[in-house]
Amino acid sequence: MREPFARRLAVAAVAFSVAAGVLVGLAFLAGASPVEALRALAEGAAGSRAALGETAARATALVLTAMGASLAFRAGVLNIGLEGQFLAGAVAVAAIGPSISGSPFVGRVALLGAAALAGALWVLPAAWLEARRGVPEVLSTILLNLVAAAAVSGLVRGALQDPAGDYPQSRALAEAVRLPPLVTGSRATAAILIALALAVLTALVLERTPLGLKLRATGLAPAAARAIGLPGARLRLLAFAASGALAGLAGGLEVLAVTGRLYDPFSAGAGYTGIAAALLGGSHPLAAAASAVLFAGLGAGSSAMQRDTGVPGALATIVPGVLVLAVLAARARQAGSAP
Amino acid sequence: MVFRRARDARDAGLALVPQHDLLIGAASVGDNLAFLDPAAPFFESAAARRARVTRLAQTFSFELGGADTRVDTLPVGTRQRIEIAGALAGDPEVLILDEPTAVLSPDETEALFASLRARADAGGAVVLITHRLGEVFAGADRLTLLARGKTVKTCRVSETTPEEIGGLLIAGAEGDREETDRKREKDKILSEGGEDIHPSKHAARSAANRPAAKLELTGFAPHQSRGVRTEGISLSLSHGELLVLLAIDGNGADTIARAIAGLEPFEGGVAIGGVRLPGRGDPLAFRAAGGAFVPADRREEGLVAALSLSENLALPDPPGRPFLDRRAMLAHAESRLAALGVRASSTAAAAGSLSGGNQQKVVLARELVRPPSLLVAIHPTRGLDLGSAAAVRRLILEACRMGAAALVVTADPDEAQLFDAPIRVVTRGRVSAPCEPATPVAALGRLMAGISA
Repeated sequence: MREPFARRLAVAAVAFSVAAGVLVGLAFLAGASPVEALRALAEGAAGSRAALGETAARATALVLTAMGASLAFRAGVLNIGLEGQFLAGAVAVAAIGPSISGSPFVGRVALLGAAALAGALWVLPAAWLEARRGVPEVLSTILLNLVAAAAVSGLVRGALQDPAGDYPQSRALAEAVRLPPLVTGSRATAAILIALALAVLTALVLERTPLGLKLRATGLAPAAARAIGLPGARLRLLAFAASGALAGLAGGLEVLAVTGRLYDPFSAGAGYTGIAAALLGGSHPLAAAASAVLFAGLGAGSSAMQRDTGVPGALATIVPGVLVLAVLAARARQAGSAP
Repeated sequence: MVFRRARDARDAGLALVPQHDLLIGAASVGDNLAFLDPAAPFFESAAARRARVTRLAQTFSFELGGADTRVDTLPVGTRQRIEIAGALAGDPEVLILDEPTAVLSPDETEALFASLRARADAGGAVVLITHRLGEVFAGADRLTLLARGKTVKTCRVSETTPEEIGGLLIAGAEGDREETDRKREKDKILSEGGEDIHPSKHAARSAANRPAAKLELTGFAPHQSRGVRTEGISLSLSHGELLVLLAIDGNGADTIARAIAGLEPFEGGVAIGGVRLPGRGDPLAFRAAGGAFVPADRREEGLVAALSLSENLALPDPPGRPFLDRRAMLAHAESRLAALGVRASSTAAAAGSLSGGNQQKVVLARELVRPPSLLVAIHPTRGLDLGSAAAVRRLILEACRMGAAALVVTADPDEAQLFDAPIRVVTRGRVSAPCEPATPVAALGRLMAGISA
């Protein structure tokens, strides 16, 4: 059952105050002035062009993985393996990217296509196991995360290792292929625009198209969807693949726009934070995207907080966890609603 | 005495054989029986576990499968026997069996009752929970009849007759409906209204321009893993023909209907309008062949409760490309709901917020949007008020008049007669020869209860 908008807003406000309170308390315990810590956090997240650029750069991957999670959850597919699909996308771009020459536009489109495809392919074993053998996708997708992390670790020391050095990293993409900053002095690139556009597209597909209605019906009432004659297996496969493609795209854009190459360990948990953002946004794409941007700001701000006040930045990473728990607890009190 | 957990009851000398076995599928027969044996030692050799299986199999003359066989590879009947043997292994003072014979063959049932009788004669107490009157009169000493959670009658079996208990059983199933109103309605349909509504007469008129055999069953039976063991059914319904399957719950009629609708796997052949359906159970193939389905549980299977009425009515093929045509959905919903007389505050209301009668009408509004070849309906009027029930029946008969064949499952003999169509009674998975709609309720009741002659 969908929550009324006002109630969702109230839940978000309460959860956010709880999380802010926790952060202030932790900063206090760490021996800093909570006011100073919060100001440093806010300025680091949105206080300058550079800070906004940092937030935007971090938000790209989170928004896209949050879209992958929202789409899957609304269709009743519990894809917890966005982290692995993110890595698959990053590997695809890091593997093909260095050998791209010619038109940068065509090259970028090809690379992002490969990233999306890699993400979708990485989720397929889980989809197949679920459909044919009844293996819960929560288990198989989370296990594929471990496989992906190990594969990245092996690849940057083996097949993809940059021959120019001993570091466990791949060859860098040509500057001409990488996405340039939107404005000078900022790390923000067109990647964030792509991510936000895809968030709007995900929302439109889920809420406004016949396909979205069918996906939601399957997620809300699998038994009814089956009896009514919806192609449940096909819809689930589609949700799996689309969700994996979005996460793969996130990984590809991370290499193309932010890092320029693959290294080990590559991901700071974008797949998991994306799930947290989806949960915080009630699996509604736009709310989940807003949550993802919020988490990105917290991440950018916490680095600044550590630099300026000495409060460990790790404290801010507690906030997403506290937020999600607070929201889930608030929702559980209201009614037994789906993720 | 207060039991805080199942183990307290077992220690007090109580053993339960549940209706659906609770064995551990991935474990062997020997392991499962060891779990069920309260006297089993903490450490036990594999040889001792095998010996227990052999000993129990001999004691109760049950075929229990191999001691090392995984339980989930065994047929349901064998699993049931393992559960029973496990319950008996602890030599309980009181043995409770919940519908133990649903998956047993007649021979196995006879053997089970012989061992239960022997147990009772030796001084043990046996409580048998059953829908089947024949089993009560075959061996019980006393009976208590329950209907809707209330005790209707308690007496010695020797002091009553199957006919009396069968009558009470059927009265109980009918529940709180007003008998007189229903009788009046039935008389009306059978006399004056019959001319207009009787489906097969209209069917005959338009027979020339319609293909034959809307539903053809050949040696059809739901897969035996699905509850009741069913005998192969062969029958055929042509356009406009309605068949009522009348059965007390638990006798397999629901499963037969669900398997035809593609929701359960089956053996043998099902063809709708000449199109054969795959035996693995495929609701899409059922629908593609022109099937429509009204499930027993409208909240779980009939509707998506959290979606609005207009969204529910737009499924499974919502209009609009690329974006949903909300206006068309609303217009469609309003016209369908008005045509069927559904009272809803608005088409934006969640389907789950409607009353049961209106929910059922919404299900029919969706299923009958295109005239189906075959309509399968399970307990379509159960739990509905009189007005809604009559409306639902009218819609089903209307669909038949438009040329659909229909299969209706009900547990209520009066309801069965209201369709004015042939009635087949299902007992223990066996489907009877067709009865006239005018067959007296008492006779139908005897058939349902499995009392011969």
